[in-house]
Amino acid sequence: MTIGAVTEAPAPPRVRRRSYGRYAGGKVLGSLGSLGFMLIVNFFLFRVLPGDPARTLGRGRFTSPEQLDDFNRTYGLDQPLPQQFLTFIQNTLTGDLGISLRYRVPVSDLIVDRMWPTLLLVGTSTILAAVIGIWLGVNSGWRRGSRFDRAATGSSLTLYSMPEWWLGLLLIYLLAVGPGPLPGLFPTGGLYSPDVDPTSWAGIPDVAWHLALPVFTLTLAYLADYALIMRSSLLDEIGEDYVTTARAKGLRDVQVRNRHAVRNALLPTTTVTALSFGFVVTGAITVETVFSIPGLGLLATEALTVPDYWVLQGTLLVSTAAVIFANLAANLVYGLLDPRVRT
Amino acid sequence: MTFTVAYLNEVDSFNPFLGIEASSFEMWALMYDSLTGYAMEDMQPTPALATEWDTSDDGLTWTFTIRDDATWSDGEPLTAQDVLYTYERIRDGGPERATWGVYLKGVASVTAPDDTTIVLELEQPSALLPLLPIPIVPEHVWTDVTDDEMRSYGNEPSGGEPVVGSGPFRLMEGTAGGSTYRFEVNPDYWGGTPHLDEVVFRVFKSEDPAIQALITGEVDFVEGINALQVQSLEGRDGISAQMGDSPGFDEIAFNTGSIDTKTGEPLGDPNPAVLDADFRWALNFGIDREQIIETAYQGAGIPGDTIIPPAYAGYRWEPPEEDAATYDPDRAVQLLDEAGYTVGDDGFRTLPNGDPIGKLRLYARSDSQTSVDVMELFSEWLADLDIDSEVRSYESSKLTDIIYEGTFDAFEWGWYVEPDPSSMLSYMTCGERGNWSDSWYCNEEYDSLFEQQRVEQDDAAREEQVQRMQEILYYDAPYLVTAYSTVGEAWRSDRFACLRQQPDPGGVYLIQYGVYNYINMRPASEADECAGEEGSTQLSDEQGGDGGVSTGVLVGGGAVLVALLAAGGVVAARRRGTVGERE
Repeated sequence: MTIGAVTEAPAPPRVRRRSYGRYAGGKVLGSLGSLGFMLIVNFFLFRVLPGDPARTLGRGRFTSPEQLDDFNRTYGLDQPLPQQFLTFIQNTLTGDLGISLRYRVPVSDLIVDRMWPTLLLVGTSTILAAVIGIWLGVNSGWRRGSRFDRAATGSSLTLYSMPEWWLGLLLIYLLAVGPGPLPGLFPTGGLYSPDVDPTSWAGIPDVAWHLALPVFTLTLAYLADYALIMRSSLLDEIGEDYVTTARAKGLRDVQVRNRHAVRNALLPTTTVTALSFGFVVTGAITVETVFSIPGLGLLATEALTVPDYWVLQGTLLVSTAAVIFANLAANLVYGLLDPRVRT
Repeated sequence: MTFTVAYLNEVDSFNPFLGIEASSFEMWALMYDSLTGYAMEDMQPTPALATEWDTSDDGLTWTFTIRDDATWSDGEPLTAQDVLYTYERIRDGGPERATWGVYLKGVASVTAPDDTTIVLELEQPSALLPLLPIPIVPEHVWTDVTDDEMRSYGNEPSGGEPVVGSGPFRLMEGTAGGSTYRFEVNPDYWGGTPHLDEVVFRVFKSEDPAIQALITGEVDFVEGINALQVQSLEGRDGISAQMGDSPGFDEIAFNTGSIDTKTGEPLGDPNPAVLDADFRWALNFGIDREQIIETAYQGAGIPGDTIIPPAYAGYRWEPPEEDAATYDPDRAVQLLDEAGYTVGDDGFRTLPNGDPIGKLRLYARSDSQTSVDVMELFSEWLADLDIDSEVRSYESSKLTDIIYEGTFDAFEWGWYVEPDPSSMLSYMTCGERGNWSDSWYCNEEYDSLFEQQRVEQDDAAREEQVQRMQEILYYDAPYLVTAYSTVGEAWRSDRFACLRQQPDPGGVYLIQYGVYNYINMRPASEADECAGEEGSTQLSDEQGGDGGVSTGVLVGGGAVLVALLAAGGVVAARRRGTVGERE
């Protein structure tokens, strides 16, 4: 008995770690749950907006009650709300996002049309800002207090606090119109020249030329996000023992920085970058406005004034799905990189 | 030569049955024809596809003769069958009726006895006809579009093929809500080939970049800019700018009696003061319209008085001189005192029964700075009259809800007035309460006049009825019309010439009723070709920069100058005239 008692002595508490498959399954289910919840919120969120689409759109145009009724009947707005909700769920599950009340075309067509400009603009800017920002952050953090650090931190903070649209207008004046005798180098707005087919080979440099200023504007505005996070997380690492050890091993300064400190400091920045990509599809409303780029952000904000329920629901669905998906991707990668999170 | 327009609004649909916004009407006018068009002088109906029309003595049968030389851009002939098809599609109901149904209301039948004749039988005479601006679509293309497909049918070019139309231009590229719309000239257009090769509309989402694009020459025309922007562009080399009269007005509207339209019971909580026509009429002299134009409109506007703007001289009623809409606070005080709204012990005016008036709720639209400024001024003038008030601004959609709930005393908004006054006049009828009426106005005499003018066949008699209706409104004052709006435009006068205003003179150069300018406009180097044409600007490199319009008009022909002087003389004479002297 006593022997048995000894063998059955309490084992040291052992954390039960789930297999990666179960971990991933849980995360996927969780994401689907959030998506389903958003689907429901999505519908009712916009129905509380003030205004009546037929009246907003038809002011001065639909002069008789019959015209208003015709419009409402055609686009299903005369149905009771629960009926509209059922139709919405049914349609969304079959991939039909409805018909825009303002543009009278399928919402999915509108979103696809507007998605590319946004991906090009915000996606490119996010990548550029991340790469340049991390480089700035590493160099200023490593040499804290140096002239470079002060210049980089100061200017990225200044750019960060500038309204994007104002920065955009300033750049249009300087680089598109050209003050005084200086020539304008870039177009003032738009995505491509009217006489160039943007899907042809000749279209690529033309689109790049048009996007140069808006991408430049957004990159400058986003820069501080990455530069400051990288800088502060690098500063945290500099004081760590392993850095001292690395130095003691006789590694060169650059090797200590790149092989040891930066690798560890990169984790928070990775999180920020991953999340930023989730938000790419929400667009950049003010910059899209100033440079007249027909993106998703603009589509959604303009739909608010009608209110164009189906466009609002469609764009919100796409952006929530993107953020949820980016989160899921980050979680799945974390699970692989760092088994501790699987608990 | 390509004419590029900076457009501040997207096209909401290239399908003429579905679009609603003014920006889309411009597109359809380039793509399609209609039976009648609009005159440049005063926007009255003129021949277009229909070369002539005839009406029976009882006014119930209208016969239109259609030109036989119109063809669709795919080579098919355009016949009365296409007109019949288009009209029947609208009369069938569904989405097609929403935009155009009003023009065919009361039409009992449409027939096409032969390829060049269209006959409309009416249930009762209509004063609206012969106005038929409905774009005629090709039956052989649209017959494949089912009723269900129609509600999301974009009518956009695909695979490099233009949309089949009959107008002076063909749509080559463009989608609803897109940012570039490209039109190519239609060499087979019955009205003669335009002098442009292409017309391109580029959507700009804000005004400043559009103006910069005009300066760099990326675009040739900008419209919808404000007075300060026009001022900054005037005098630039190669650019002309103007504020053109646009047939619309802005007003301060009162809650004249909101009711539940089903039960007839009062709805909302209007202040008893604004329900009283005498109170409202007194305030007509308590607002300084000159000041409103100067402050809230930066000088770009005309002081208003009645709901038909000066552009429609025939229908317009002018208040007699003794009651003209001038700023006269003494008279306002006197009228208020006479109506029983005397100043109480607390220094504020009271209701005739002695109760305090309280605070009047003045609502402005937060999306319009002008609207907010006007209401702030109004509030100050009310304070001068010892009436307490507060200004609040709401988004247009929220304000619409408030108006339908009747929980307001006054708000600021405006209307665009169509060449036929019926729709504007209808918004003030009893039947429109709970629908388009925003002042909850109801007056039996006004309503019966409205019904009369709708079926009146004699133009002069109709004008008289419409004028009497404005007179009723003016003295009942559900609206205090503050200003007639103007639209800022600027264009490259070093590149294009021969544009004409609508209404001529004084109106806008683009986004007109019809496509006159797209057909008649020429490159600046060919400006002398339109030297004899009435009202055309003839701006060229030599004088394009030096201030613009007036010089251009002078060069364009003495006729215009004479017309301007004559019009000015008439206006001046009418202003000075007394009731007796004017009809």
